[in-house]
Amino acid sequence: MESLKISVNSATCYKNNSVIFSDINISLKNSEIIIIMGSNGCGKTTLIKSISGIQNLDSGEIKLNNKNIATIGSDFKEEIVYVGHKNSLNNDLTTIENLEYLSAFDSTTDISNTANIRNLMKNLNIEKYKNYRVSDISEGNKKKISLMRLLLTKKKIWLLDEPMSYLDDESINMLINIFIEHQKKGGLIFLTTHYDFSKKINACKVYTMKDAELT
Amino acid sequence: MIKTILLKELSIYIRNLNSVFLPLIFFFLIISIFPLVLGPDKVLLNKIIPGVIWITAILTTLLISNNFFKEDFNSGIIEIYLTSESSIELILFLRIISCWIFTCLPIIIFIPIVSLLFEIPFSSSIILVFTLLLGTPILISIGLFGSALTLGLSRNNILTPILIIPFYIPVLVFSASAIESVSIGLPYYSQIYILLALLMLILPTMPYLLKYTLEFSINN
Repeated sequence: MESLKISVNSATCYKNNSVIFSDINISLKNSEIIIIMGSNGCGKTTLIKSISGIQNLDSGEIKLNNKNIATIGSDFKEEIVYVGHKNSLNNDLTTIENLEYLSAFDSTTDISNTANIRNLMKNLNIEKYKNYRVSDISEGNKKKISLMRLLLTKKKIWLLDEPMSYLDDESINMLINIFIEHQKKGGLIFLTTHYDFSKKINACKVYTMKDAELT
Repeated sequence: MIKTILLKELSIYIRNLNSVFLPLIFFFLIISIFPLVLGPDKVLLNKIIPGVIWITAILTTLLISNNFFKEDFNSGIIEIYLTSESSIELILFLRIISCWIFTCLPIIIFIPIVSLLFEIPFSSSIILVFTLLLGTPILISIGLFGSALTLGLSRNNILTPILIIPFYIPVLVFSASAIESVSIGLPYYSQIYILLALLMLILPTMPYLLKYTLEFSINN
């Protein structure tokens, strides 16, 4: 198994002259999960966007296997899946079409196996929405569709921004089981949430973000 | 990947036929206003109508491109582009091309009908179509650049045109000059070559510019 390590070294980010976070140091290895908790607007999303390379840092660096992600560029992007808190679906396309479209951006995703996709959708209780336009589907089910990318990809590093929002308890438990499965395969998960599920998972570090610092 | 993206763009435009037909209707409405305002003076209309068509094309491309990235920004797909290992420049290039095919090409196809209505001479009409074919992809590219630039702002409806119209001027000058030349029997090749050169310059560089602009807009 490929060994992967993400480290965040003294990361600092400002927006509109106010500090979002400063001097953040964390690291994540294979089979580990990091949960970032914190109140609304404390900078969780900005942090996860920085780690995924969308947001630029004002100082500090993010490294993958001791190489700065800004210099390795697409090599880093080949390892990560980012699921933001926006569902990234097109309202005019159906569920299946959206999955096809999203898979175009990820070479490890195989969506030609329709039986497999139908099975995954069945497990998530969204099978009947297969040919619905996304504009006609509820927010929770949209979230499940965007999280289905995780089940289709073979990438190891998952960066998830509030994956549990809009989901019901049953789906949250299902998602936690998906995380555990991914962990067994040596995957790395970095996520922000308001729901502390660390007791259900081993090798799980919980940080709380407050006043621009992680504790 | 190219095939998937183009097919999806096609189905999005087919399901939103509004976005194909409304620019076309807008284009015809604006053009038909001019005879109403200026009166049925055939000589005057014949002289100004190629210019009118160009100005209307500019207005139409402004409307098309104004909020082009807004929906993608709100749905979060731009973040997927930015974290994707696929070339974002290629994705943006395909999107520029499909935007042009589904919104500008229908207008250009109907130009011969407009030419018949206003009795534009055949030679001018051909050059008009030709300049539009070369010019509208440039207008769309610059328009999308403006749309990406003002993405982070909540009220950008007027700002985008103010920012980008100055960049439309070279295209307009050379197109108008080509049409003028052909109508008085002068050579027009140089203007067409300059338009072609502008297109060749802007089309390949715009996806790179768009990428940096989108990254910048998301960062701020």
